[in-house]
Amino acid sequence: MAYYVNRNVKMTWWERSYLPEIFRGLYITSRHFFINLFGFIPFFLGRKKDREIFTVYYPEEMVEYPPAYRGRPVLALNENGHPACVACGLCEIACPAYCIHIVPGCNSGKQNEIERWPEKFDIDYAVCIFCGNCEEACPEEAIFMSDDCEISMLDRKKMRYTKEQLLVPVADLKERIEFTRKMYAKWNY
Amino acid sequence: MELLTFYPLAGFSILLALGVVINKSPIGSALCLIGMMLGLAGIFAMQQAHFIAILQVVIYAGAIMVLFMFVIMLLNLKGTGAEWRSRERNTLLTVLTAFLALGVLYKIVDIILEIDLDSPAKVADTFGTAAVIGETLFTDFVLPFEVASILLLAAMVGAVVLAKTKLD
Amino acid sequence: MITELLITLAKILFIIGVTVGFFAPILTWVERKQSAIMQDRIGANRADILGFTALGLFHAIADALKMFTKEDFIPEGANKVLHTLSPIIAVIPAILTFAVVPFGGVYNLFGHEVNLVISDLDVGLLFVFAIASIATYGYVIAGWSSNNNWSLLGSMRTASQMISYEVTMGLTIIGVLMVYGSMRLTDIGAIQEDFFRWGIFLQPLGFLMFLTAAIAENKRIPFDNPEAESEIVAGYFTEYSGLKFGMFFMAEFIEIVTIAAIVTILFFGAWHIPFLTTATLLSWFEILGTTGSNLLVMLIHVGVFFAKVILFIWLQMTIRWTLPRFRYDQIMKLGWKILLPLSLANVLVTGIVILMLQ
Ligand code: SF4
Ligand code: SF4
Repeated sequence: MAYYVNRNVKMTWWERSYLPEIFRGLYITSRHFFINLFGFIPFFLGRKKDREIFTVYYPEEMVEYPPAYRGRPVLALNENGHPACVACGLCEIACPAYCIHIVPGCNSGKQNEIERWPEKFDIDYAVCIFCGNCEEACPEEAIFMSDDCEISMLDRKKMRYTKEQLLVPVADLKERIEFTRKMYAKWNY
Repeated sequence: MELLTFYPLAGFSILLALGVVINKSPIGSALCLIGMMLGLAGIFAMQQAHFIAILQVVIYAGAIMVLFMFVIMLLNLKGTGAEWRSRERNTLLTVLTAFLALGVLYKIVDIILEIDLDSPAKVADTFGTAAVIGETLFTDFVLPFEVASILLLAAMVGAVVLAKTKLD
Repeated sequence: MITELLITLAKILFIIGVTVGFFAPILTWVERKQSAIMQDRIGANRADILGFTALGLFHAIADALKMFTKEDFIPEGANKVLHTLSPIIAVIPAILTFAVVPFGGVYNLFGHEVNLVISDLDVGLLFVFAIASIATYGYVIAGWSSNNNWSLLGSMRTASQMISYEVTMGLTIIGVLMVYGSMRLTDIGAIQEDFFRWGIFLQPLGFLMFLTAAIAENKRIPFDNPEAESEIVAGYFTEYSGLKFGMFFMAEFIEIVTIAAIVTILFFGAWHIPFLTTATLLSWFEILGTTGSNLLVMLIHVGVFFAKVILFIWLQMTIRWTLPRFRYDQIMKLGWKILLPLSLANVLVTGIVILMLQ
């Protein structure tokens, strides 16, 4: 899908002299400036409820993240209280940052029990690049990108989350699961 | 009052002039030269020649030395190489420069001896203003002035031609 | 003698107080807030003292505190003396220009002729120009002494850009000079008492070119190639931190004020109100006596002057937040191929018109 930019745009003499365009730009910005400057006054006086400014005061106010948002990857904990993960290692391989570390565990062939599960499942968030490849690679709907992005810490060692820290009940991930199903369309449902 | 400003300025200029010669790094020399020119401008300003003082700053300190610095930085002369320390000695050039310096010195001493230091000449209040200098330049010294400007023009055209032939 | 000295001292203190003490810190706030308002944002408003935010004004104080307490870092292999010296060299010319900037006319106070300019140089205009050319060194040396390739690139860009635009600036100044017939800034200010002799009417092209060249000299967007952060990190002050960085910052903001002041004096009638001569103003307040009326008129004039200065600061800020950065070759092309011939033509046309009118 190569796509070429036409760099030989023919400009009229008027456009090439640049000055009128500068004045146009200045007009736009100063119009915003004055409208906002005087529009602010009623807002600060408490007269007008909504303002033209959409700034969110972050720590106090938060926006709802859309389901497409990729926050930190988490493990899904299914209804039976077990991790959905079968420790297949696909996410480990798919991860471009090599930040997933899995130690699988399995039973010795007993009937009617979980066959495989991750003994250990670590994700090092200090290394993770939030690409979402793990989610895409997983065949079991076991790893999902959550909407949590506030994971800054003062100690890097603490950023390596273990299985217990990563597990999130599947009910909390409903929206994202719906989204991934639609998005990747690789499950034959 | 005048001496109080003159001696520091003069001392400053001489020290920096020595710095130009002695300094090991080219950029240090250039900086000393700039400082010296500013000192000279100060001395000019003290002699009521404000216009000349400002021109000294604009042209020498402001324009020419910036180009010097530019070239020094472009070539990134750090002054660490051996070739910077000991340049080849050119006997002919040395002798010629010595003659030139001696000649200038002789002339300066000659002029100083002629001056009657006890009764300094009175100058008009307008002395050194832009208007007066302009008038002298365009009446008494119009020929040298025009010749100099033609010389500069020729130099400029020459430089452009040289650069152009290299580019093409 | 003593009173003269005191008056001069008062003027110096006033100018330094207004530029360094008032405009420089306030402008950091203005820049944040104005850009925010222009872009439909709110802007800095978090720094507070006991819950008062004062529309974000305390950010200026927070900035100053931060700069004072930050580590002062000199990179390895840098030239220590020059690295320390260059912020000073950069900031001094910015303040020095105000020595010749008149911020009011001549007033008769308590039997003294008070001329509201620190030094009424007869080559004031050239002095401004000379100082502007000296200002280059601070930046050039800063880049060179940092022992960093980005810095070196930045300072080379500074040098080439400032040399190029100095030429244009000098030539536009010549146009102004021809119109007013004087290089004394107080004279130029006094002539513009007549509204129809304001520089903007006599030298409209000169005004545009002067403003362009001045912004280029100040290295602000759209001419901020020397510090283009997306290309060369931060240009000449990449290796600066703490108070030294703050001084570069301050130099830039003071220079904004300087440019605004010079533009006001050269092109926008200095301290005069259109159609109101000083004599008229004086006659209005005649009942207050000579000193009283003079004092009042002086205050009005200084106020008008600084109001105009603030207007041009606003204009510069708006330009800075409106236009994108030029490419390096575009800057050179604009400087040498467009502005230089235009300014030469401006000088020529001005000369012809003056000759024809005589
Ligand atoms: S989001 Fe990307 S980097 Fe992070 S764990 Fe998943 S695959 Fe690895
Ligand atoms: S791809 Fe899914 S099932 Fe496989 S190890 Fe990763 S999380 Fe578990």
